[in-house]
Amino acid sequence: MIPSPTHPSAPTLERFLPTPYPVTGIRRETGDTVTLRLRPPEGRPSAFQPGQFNMLYLFGIGEVPISISGVHPRSGDLEHTVRAVGSVTRALARLRKGDVVGVRGPFGKGWPLEEAKGHDILILAGGIGLAPLRPALQHILAHRSEYKQVVLLYGARTPADLLYPAELERWRGRLDLQVFVTVDRGDEAWRGHIGVVTTLLPLAERLLDFRKAFILMCGPEVMMRVAARELEDRKVPPERIFLSLERNMKCAVGFCGHCQFGPVFICRDGPVFPLGRVRPLLEVREL
Amino acid sequence: MSKAAILEALRQHPFTHDMEEAWKEVLAEMARLQTYPPDALLLREGRAADAFFLIVDGLVAIEMFAPERGTLRLQTVSAGEVVGWSWALPPYRWEFDARALAETTAVVLDAAALRARMSQDCALAAWILSRLLAVVAGRLKATRLQLLDLYAPSERRTP
Amino acid sequence: MANPEAPIPVPNSVWRMEKARLQDLIDALRRQGYTVIGPCIREGAIVYDEIHQVSDLPIGWTDEQDGGRYRLKRREDSSFFGYAVGPHSWKRFLHPPVLSLGRARRNGAGFEWIAPSDPAPRYAFLGVRACELHAIAILDRVFMGGPYVDPTYQARREGVFLIAVQCAVAGGTCFCASMGTGPKAPPGADLILTELAEAFIVEIGTERGAALMAGIPCAPATEADRAAVEAQLAATARAMGRQMDTTDLPALLYRNLEHPRWEEVAQRCLTCGNCTMVCPTCFCFTVEDVSDLTGTQAERVRRWDSCFTTEFTYTAGRPIRQSAKARYRQWLTHKLASWWEQFGTSGCVGCGRCITWCPVGIDLTEEVAAIRRTDGATLEAERR
Repeated sequence: MIPSPTHPSAPTLERFLPTPYPVTGIRRETGDTVTLRLRPPEGRPSAFQPGQFNMLYLFGIGEVPISISGVHPRSGDLEHTVRAVGSVTRALARLRKGDVVGVRGPFGKGWPLEEAKGHDILILAGGIGLAPLRPALQHILAHRSEYKQVVLLYGARTPADLLYPAELERWRGRLDLQVFVTVDRGDEAWRGHIGVVTTLLPLAERLLDFRKAFILMCGPEVMMRVAARELEDRKVPPERIFLSLERNMKCAVGFCGHCQFGPVFICRDGPVFPLGRVRPLLEVREL
Repeated sequence: MSKAAILEALRQHPFTHDMEEAWKEVLAEMARLQTYPPDALLLREGRAADAFFLIVDGLVAIEMFAPERGTLRLQTVSAGEVVGWSWALPPYRWEFDARALAETTAVVLDAAALRARMSQDCALAAWILSRLLAVVAGRLKATRLQLLDLYAPSERRTP
Repeated sequence: MANPEAPIPVPNSVWRMEKARLQDLIDALRRQGYTVIGPCIREGAIVYDEIHQVSDLPIGWTDEQDGGRYRLKRREDSSFFGYAVGPHSWKRFLHPPVLSLGRARRNGAGFEWIAPSDPAPRYAFLGVRACELHAIAILDRVFMGGPYVDPTYQARREGVFLIAVQCAVAGGTCFCASMGTGPKAPPGADLILTELAEAFIVEIGTERGAALMAGIPCAPATEADRAAVEAQLAATARAMGRQMDTTDLPALLYRNLEHPRWEEVAQRCLTCGNCTMVCPTCFCFTVEDVSDLTGTQAERVRRWDSCFTTEFTYTAGRPIRQSAKARYRQWLTHKLASWWEQFGTSGCVGCGRCITWCPVGIDLTEEVAAIRRTDGATLEAERR
């Protein structure tokens, strides 16, 4: 069992004030996305559950929720893949080694990797949705014999927007993992799949028994809504389909009210949800 | 090309696998098994739509050539799917190019023969057209989603 | 000094106290170090602020409330608590509108936090209505009942001395009777006062309440006193300005998320957020990090926020709830429906503040009734 490092019962200020973590590495993934490596200081736990997120703080600017996108294999540092879309994330994307980021967390409910043991796993990732799924895949590969057939379907905007390209190549080279990658638009050199990621589902269908598999997905909500329907058409039980949602967050502990999606608090009841919990909510416009 | 190999391919392919055995044999009579090397065109824009392709293995790109922009690759079609429906509608003309990106094997059905057979056998026509409609609907849905450009960065910025 | 022959106040006992003795109560609380907060008049409204003297209270005043309307009016008597509730609720003292969470200061390791060092204030709330006791209990669940506990709320809440007052007046927008939140005070207050013409009837709620009353001269309440209290509560319950049919309310709202009424109320709603500010249970807040001019210190401040603002749901660059319809629907369905799933009760206590302080007088009891009348209506059906 992946140990949960959260100690929610203590009403300490620590929950609400970030701790400085040094940036030990920064890798540019695409034009607007970087992966930051942060080292927990002495005494700070580095354990987390894949699917959880940290609140990342920059002095005097603000805080944003960023999924933990992996563990650096040699150092054990925490990786966070950040897309520059606003003032805090743009500043995070400009950091250099040695800079300091405030960290609060980890928060939220992660992927059901315990429950999924002994089953086929389908991972469906769209765009930056691959980031919160990557630690799940890392965990599965580190405990490979505990899972059956594993398939990754990943869609990005263009070949230049593919995240973790070196890792994708390594994953594709493995005999115990099936990887299919597609882009919405190719370039001159691209000779792979072109089309939205849900068009890859028939390929996965030939490799897994959908009725018994666990499906983990993350991407734009439209993608997940459409994929959920296609999976339901293929008779996948909703209790085995999991998705990761996102909303505006300020406190990350279920108090500020910003991340509410119907009755659920994304920060505390999610961000990973079994489909059954959120299915009707996904159908309501502007919920 | 043995008829037995084609028949087996029809039994395996998702488009035809649950078709009546008798119809499979009819189709096998008007089909051939063709392998395309990488970069070979399966069909070309403007030409007569004289074939219906069931992709058995490989990867096919739907393309259009624009002089100002070169070859534009729009979507890919994988093994287990089908390429082409213009053979079923007048003016029976291809609107795009289809090119093999990797070595690709397909069951290629003679469209003229298939159309003739369908005009005599309404039940077969209904079966094929309803399946074809599903393919077109799925392809249109996927295309619409592609158009949404869901991964694009948004214009309004916030943290 | 209490009359040594009189019975000693214990929890659940009931006493008759001369009105003048209220000052003794206030003084005793202040001697014990409490800051006494009570109703007083500021700029034409009855709000909650620190009081020292009984004369700070709005004696002889009442309020007239309706949708988008609030006026004070003189009474013909000198009642101390002859009015309903005003724009303030007790949440502003337990869950402050603006709160510094700490100050970050740059140092070698990056930055360090200087947590606020001032101790939590010790409040005594004088004049807490039944609906407000329910509202406080609701906030207790929000901030202390879940997997995380808010230390600010907890520190302020634990020390609070609560003196309830059972309403003799039902406001024009009140509907606590419909919500099951009044006018009778629920358990939880240290003392429960009911004002009669010539005296206060005081019910002791807790040991702490008993200890305070031990120093106040009073007589045991008579049967006539108890009957007068019950009669007054019944009269107040009958005089409610509004009422809400709460039958299956969450299910009603959940199945009518596309009801045309939402569009209709959105035509009127200004999304000003007044309702969320005056509501005693709305708890949403935002967190801001503000650097000083030198850039060496940055303060983290928590500030009340409202789901009615467009920025509230900004996600990846644009608001999820963009239309006024979506924002009004969120507020009402959270308050009356999802609150149940989240906290086990309704979020509404029937105080009517949202109706009174809405600039255009939107009345949630009316909105719910309208949806109930045409349960299942959709825009498509209407247009056919």
